[in-house]
Amino acid sequence: MSKMICPDCGIEMNYHADKVDYNISDSEHIDPDFGGVLEEAHTCPGCGKTHTRALEKSL
Amino acid sequence: MERSQAVGEQHMELRKLFIPVILGTTRKGRMSEHVAKFVTAEFAKREGVETQLIDIRDLPIPIDDAGQNIRYPAFSEAAMRADAFVIVCPEYNHGYPGMLKHVLDTNLKEYIHKAVGIVGVSAGPFGGTRAIQDLLPVLRELGLVTIFWDGNFSSVQSAFDESGNLLDQAYVRRLDKFMKELIWMAKVLRHGRENISLE
Repeated sequence: MSKMICPDCGIEMNYHADKVDYNISDSEHIDPDFGGVLEEAHTCPGCGKTHTRALEKSL
Repeated sequence: MERSQAVGEQHMELRKLFIPVILGTTRKGRMSEHVAKFVTAEFAKREGVETQLIDIRDLPIPIDDAGQNIRYPAFSEAAMRADAFVIVCPEYNHGYPGMLKHVLDTNLKEYIHKAVGIVGVSAGPFGGTRAIQDLLPVLRELGLVTIFWDGNFSSVQSAFDESGNLLDQAYVRRLDKFMKELIWMAKVLRHGRENISLE
């Protein structure tokens, strides 16, 4: 899995959660095993902001 | 120690915890407003804590759509910056206000692994416990981590005077326990979000 870099601080973010988002109308990324888009949550240790992206394994 | 971890620990010392208080009702004559202002004022006294009262009545969120399609940027930014949330939740006919859920549902990633505590409000003797119990699974699904202390304002019409001054000082000690637990959980989860990897 590639590391996510904070767009504000430029440092490596911490990957700490996976969450199914059922509200996204992004059929391309819907994981059939979970019924929604599996998203990774990454938080920056510098500024504390969280960013998500579709789980790489589901792409 | 990796650079990101060192930076994180340094910044964690510098950054105050941000714990907004969400006033979860839009109704006219709401007594919960007194509660929310009291709770916000108590959090504002805590060293190392920044707070803000978020009144859902002030959020221009449409009611003909739902979820992240109707997110209000200022609310989402506050939620993103938050380390924990307090939700002041009145009990209406044994449930939580529909508008509160409508507003909470407009965010998702902003809540993940953040602490939340509920302050129940009721005109009767049970301090909003039934609304709290119903709200807990909603918060869990949103990715929030609930604490085991609640606030319970029973017979709220007697707890404050007309100007919103607290009449029963027992609430100060009760809220102190709630705040300590929420602040502890906010610190732990901030450390976890920023330093403990899922894999």
